[in-house]
Amino acid sequence: MDIFLQSVVNGILAGCIYALFAMGLTLIYGVLNFVNFAHGELIMWGAYFLYLFISEPFSLPLSVAVAPAILCTVCLGMVMDFAIFRPLRKADRLTLLIAAMGLSFLLRNAAQFFWGAEVRTYGLEISRGFQFLGVSLTAQQILIIGVTVACVILVYLLFFRTSLGKSMRAVSDNLDLARVVGINARRSIRAAWIVSAALAGTGGILLALDTNLNPEMGVINLVKAFAATLIGGVGNLWGALLGGLIIGLAENLSVLVISPGYKDAVAFAIMVGILLTRPYLVTGKRTD
Amino acid sequence: MDLLLHLCVVIAIYSIFAMSLNLEVGYTGLFNFGHVAFLGIGAYTSAILSLAGFPFGMCLTAALVAAGLTGLLLSIPALRLQGDYFGIATLGFGEILRLVFQNEVWLTKGPMGLPGIPKPEMLGVRFESLPEYLGLAVIAVLLTYLILGSVTESPFGRALRAVRDDETAAEVLGKNAFAFKTRSFVIGSIFAGLAGVLWAHYTTFISPSDFTLNETIVVLLIVVLGGKGTRPGPVVGAIALIFLQESMRFLRLPPEWTRYLGPLQQMVFGALLVALMVFRPEGLIREKGRK
Repeated sequence: MDIFLQSVVNGILAGCIYALFAMGLTLIYGVLNFVNFAHGELIMWGAYFLYLFISEPFSLPLSVAVAPAILCTVCLGMVMDFAIFRPLRKADRLTLLIAAMGLSFLLRNAAQFFWGAEVRTYGLEISRGFQFLGVSLTAQQILIIGVTVACVILVYLLFFRTSLGKSMRAVSDNLDLARVVGINARRSIRAAWIVSAALAGTGGILLALDTNLNPEMGVINLVKAFAATLIGGVGNLWGALLGGLIIGLAENLSVLVISPGYKDAVAFAIMVGILLTRPYLVTGKRTD
Repeated sequence: MDLLLHLCVVIAIYSIFAMSLNLEVGYTGLFNFGHVAFLGIGAYTSAILSLAGFPFGMCLTAALVAAGLTGLLLSIPALRLQGDYFGIATLGFGEILRLVFQNEVWLTKGPMGLPGIPKPEMLGVRFESLPEYLGLAVIAVLLTYLILGSVTESPFGRALRAVRDDETAAEVLGKNAFAFKTRSFVIGSIFAGLAGVLWAHYTTFISPSDFTLNETIVVLLIVVLGGKGTRPGPVVGAIALIFLQESMRFLRLPPEWTRYLGPLQQMVFGALLVALMVFRPEGLIREKGRK
């Protein structure tokens, strides 16, 4: 029973992080109508930027280094859009996707170039978790939940309480129509990149805090984020949040029955399951 | 001289692999980002069977059947997806398959890999030395070129291009787009399996680290560099890319730099892929009849 409860808690923790990834991915999809294959690399670089700022020559304390790390991730996202995706806005899909794929490969190997392929950590001391109802929870893990809740609230406020958020939703619904009524689409797209990259960077840092960093972490989390967006319906922000939690829970509960070596395959299995049973979810449009 | 022969074998194997991907990406418009999975299935099937003592012809057949069947099984859920989604689904499949190679230690020896895969022997001929193996590889390239060439030039190939260019229009004309895409995917998978078999018996050692996303990127780069949707494109791309890759090896770098060489080379590949897409998406050879 304790193991079960602990798995549920771990699942929610992982799910929080996946939800952040999935929300960023689905946001870009909504506005630009393409899956950003390099989203995983934003996640990975977010984590590595933090590593950069806490090690020589910066040696900032972890809590201070978070701000420049996320800022750098956001810049990376905007440079990506400016240098590659904007020139290809009118190109056909295959061209766009292959470019995103190449970019993702470039960024992953750049991280490997600077830091090597080995697994790294932020060098935090292993802390004993608080015991609560037979479940152990470390300070970092409480932080993960807190930050996720804060991010979700911020995203909600941005989208439903500001005019920028309203115009982003309009662009996401119909780009041409939004332009016709005088919405500055370019500004909305830029805002979408900022939010998406910030969520990816935050999630990447949280993931690295809870586990570790390596240049491969991007791809596998891209697949998980994508599975989460599929569950929620593509382009649906709250669906992505829910989908992320479901993937996290499923992954951690599956370890009770299958070999842990396949933990990363669970998201993929769920994805295939959805495609076989509910393909209409993929279009992101509900019939009601 | 041996190096040159070795490069020719590598180019031949990559040509087959790239031609099979070209059928899917270039002619059918399927964004397959997990093609390496079928290379792996071909290589592992043939390696495991031949290590168990089965004759090469049998191993080859089994490997091609295994690759084709997996392609068929994957296509049932994956081909319900359009464009980008199909890309992610195949990308995920490639990653999962690597997990299988790594975790099913009883079958694949896991990360240790499979050493000592015998050189092939067919119709009483043993392809042991480099020139002999090159002969085998060249025969395989010619066969692939002819078969895939006639497939793409046939009415079936025209239907594939119709599905690629406008799926709705093709369906209106009575072409079952799903069926055409499935067949293209299965044929592509079989030939990727062939490339895998040739690879396994050439290097005589395979491990899960041979079948990573890197291979997918390299083969994708070969296809788009050469010119997707053209017959000679993949071969031209393979020659160009393998020579580029090998020439980087001749850079006189101080030994402490060697750690950086691998990632640097792959960064160049990634950048090349992006640059091609931005500046010359059609590649070296342009498909006829396309603007």
